[in-house]
Amino acid sequence: MAAEIGLLLLIIATVICLLIAVLPLLKNSSEPYTNALISLLIHLNTFALLGAMVILGYLFIANDFSVAYVANHSNTQLASVYKVAAVWGGHEGSMLFWITATALWSSFIVNQHKANSAFMRSLCAILAAIMCGFLLFLLFTSNPFARLLPNIPLEGRDLNPILQDIGLILHPPLLFIGYVGLTVCFAAAVAALLDTQANIQAHCRRIRPWAILTWVALTGGNAFGSWWAYNELGWGGWWFWDPVENASFIPWLVATAMMHALILSSKRDAFYASTLFTCLLGFAICLLGTFLVRSGVVQSVHAFAADPSRGVSILTLLLLFSAGGFTLFAYRAPSLFKPSCYSVYSKESLMMLGNLILLVAALSILLGTCYPLLYEVLTEQSISVGAPYFNSLFIPLLVLICLLMGAAPLVRWQQAQPKVLIPLALYAGLALGLAVLLNLITLPKLSGYFLCGSFSALWLCICIIAAVRQQYAHRAPSASRSQRFNGMCLAHLAVAVSILGATTVSHFEQDELLRMGPGQGKVVAGYTFVYEATEQVAYPSYSAIQAKIQVSDTKGQVFAYIYPQRQTFNTNGMQLSAAGIHRSLFGDIYISMGTPLSDSEYLVRISYKPLVNWIWIGALMMMVAGICLLRRPAIVGAARHTYSAGHRLGAPSVHNGGL
Amino acid sequence: MKSQLTLCQRVTFNCLLWLGLSVFSANAATPSSLPASTSAPVYSQAEIKALGFDIAKSLRCPMSANQNLLDSQTKIANELKAEIFLQLEQGKRKSEIIDFMVARYGQQIRYMPTFAAGTFVLYLFPLGLLLLVFAWGFKQHQSTKTHKISNMDTHHD
Repeated sequence: MAAEIGLLLLIIATVICLLIAVLPLLKNSSEPYTNALISLLIHLNTFALLGAMVILGYLFIANDFSVAYVANHSNTQLASVYKVAAVWGGHEGSMLFWITATALWSSFIVNQHKANSAFMRSLCAILAAIMCGFLLFLLFTSNPFARLLPNIPLEGRDLNPILQDIGLILHPPLLFIGYVGLTVCFAAAVAALLDTQANIQAHCRRIRPWAILTWVALTGGNAFGSWWAYNELGWGGWWFWDPVENASFIPWLVATAMMHALILSSKRDAFYASTLFTCLLGFAICLLGTFLVRSGVVQSVHAFAADPSRGVSILTLLLLFSAGGFTLFAYRAPSLFKPSCYSVYSKESLMMLGNLILLVAALSILLGTCYPLLYEVLTEQSISVGAPYFNSLFIPLLVLICLLMGAAPLVRWQQAQPKVLIPLALYAGLALGLAVLLNLITLPKLSGYFLCGSFSALWLCICIIAAVRQQYAHRAPSASRSQRFNGMCLAHLAVAVSILGATTVSHFEQDELLRMGPGQGKVVAGYTFVYEATEQVAYPSYSAIQAKIQVSDTKGQVFAYIYPQRQTFNTNGMQLSAAGIHRSLFGDIYISMGTPLSDSEYLVRISYKPLVNWIWIGALMMMVAGICLLRRPAIVGAARHTYSAGHRLGAPSVHNGGL
Repeated sequence: MKSQLTLCQRVTFNCLLWLGLSVFSANAATPSSLPASTSAPVYSQAEIKALGFDIAKSLRCPMSANQNLLDSQTKIANELKAEIFLQLEQGKRKSEIIDFMVARYGQQIRYMPTFAAGTFVLYLFPLGLLLLVFAWGFKQHQSTKTHKISNMDTHHD
């Protein structure tokens, strides 16, 4: 019964969405009436979808295995928290989660801004049209409430054991909220394109906090995903450039560009074409990523919901929405271009260049991700494009992005002179010198990647210090301005922290692959590891063989025991290896237990990963910085304030770009 | 003043371009065309380990979804890892070992595609895009120079 109500709620939501989508087309109806109706319908739609989500959660808790989705993703043995997380643990449920989050976000927007302008009405209509498309896709090809009748299984198939992790609770919801943000920004960009050009700056200001929130969520989604992959054996470590990882990283790159483009446009009354284009691109890329991941066309260790039959539907949605959006853009673009009068050394130009390079990175990674697929279609031979290629592509681009990211806060708006390059060149020289010095001290020979990474991190730090000095030396900035400035500095510093972590762990990781049994020991990275015993342990959902490995430091002091496991799950007999990790701020000790080599010996891999946690600490700092930028309730007022401040700064005689 | 300005601009432009080009060419060169000396290299134990891990990381396990040889626990991956270390001890070069693996398992085992007729797009597409971006920067520079004159006029939308 509950499942049928859920299905009914989905159908109701579909109809409501259809109504909202066509309402603005009825010109004859009186406006106040339509506005109130749109708000009401948006909220009703949210209620219906939330109801459907709650019912799906209830079906999981109640172990209703007559529902196919529940039977395929749950089990009576499954812990309650994973039963709830299993709601978005499979394809159907995660699509429902995506749609529900879109509805919630649209309700939030309507509450905040009221549906009283043409922009808001078209925004609601477009969001509703997108939700309607998704709901139809859900109803016709992937209904989460489909029943397994009459052969009801007694026991569910269980959630994939790999997914029974804290990662499932954090990573997918954040990523989906990010995707929803991209959806909202797409709809807002289309609505802005439909509206008259006079209001376009106001629209950019309105979209900006949504873009920042999108970016925060995507940052979190990627960071938790990376952290989860690091914890899970066989997922290629903290970043492997797997197609599924790329499918979430490419939207992050585009969202980063989008956020900066919106800041630029809302402050400077320019670059609208590129800003709106980036907004449109974000959603298109995220649908393309969904297609790659869900249709099973790419080979990945992370694909859990792959099914070729879904691919066509997602591709249809992608073509429909992006064709609509980009056609409108092509039609309106000529009127958006303005003759720009910004020096190439101005803040505007540097930010714009940075955004463009972010897009270059995103599109190139997209090509690399899809290339094996295209190659196979065209030549019927298969190739792989993996980590070595993407590193050689992304790291140089990252250096360029960091160069611009460090320099942009130091130069003036609009009319910077080439002499601003002199202090910048000094900083760059200093950073490069330090990087080379570090390289010569720590590594036997010069390494291009190490130089790239350490130079970027050092350059960013130096530039941030210079920017802080420049900001506070002149005069006390207004509260909102200084808050924005601090947020920006924190976010840029966070990037430096992440780069530092990634560079260090890539170059100074110490790894040993060895045969180990009880009584054997090995020294790795100054720590002494002694394999004490092999133990049998049992947990509610799995049993395991674990190695008890004692770790002592250089003084012979025992400071930890690490227990890598080989787990066997009770429900489906699936075998998994779980690493034993001893975490600390300056480096993790990471031990995994491989295949048995004799009766008592196993293949054991011991790694010391210095500063690996800094990668995610950096990401957390980015999220905090983003939330700082969002915190002001009167964000539109704040933007106006900064805008005028920016104008004053732009005046030629106020102060000069350097120090 | 004017010549100094263009010089600054040229220098930054060239530096950026060089950065983009050099890293790519360096990496595209590694798989196949190391300088060939006649005598086989003799590696130290530490070098063998570092090189072996490096090679195992850049090859794909033929049996798993998308894992490199180092991480994969399948039987074939363990055999191939042993093969890599064996060949390193025999004094084989990285490129020779990778060529051996490619000959045995096809191009798919290589995570770093070569610069060939079918794959050059992978290398030229990002470079092309980057050139377009720099071209935009250059155009911006040129147009601001001309715009300073037209800026005197009443502004137009």
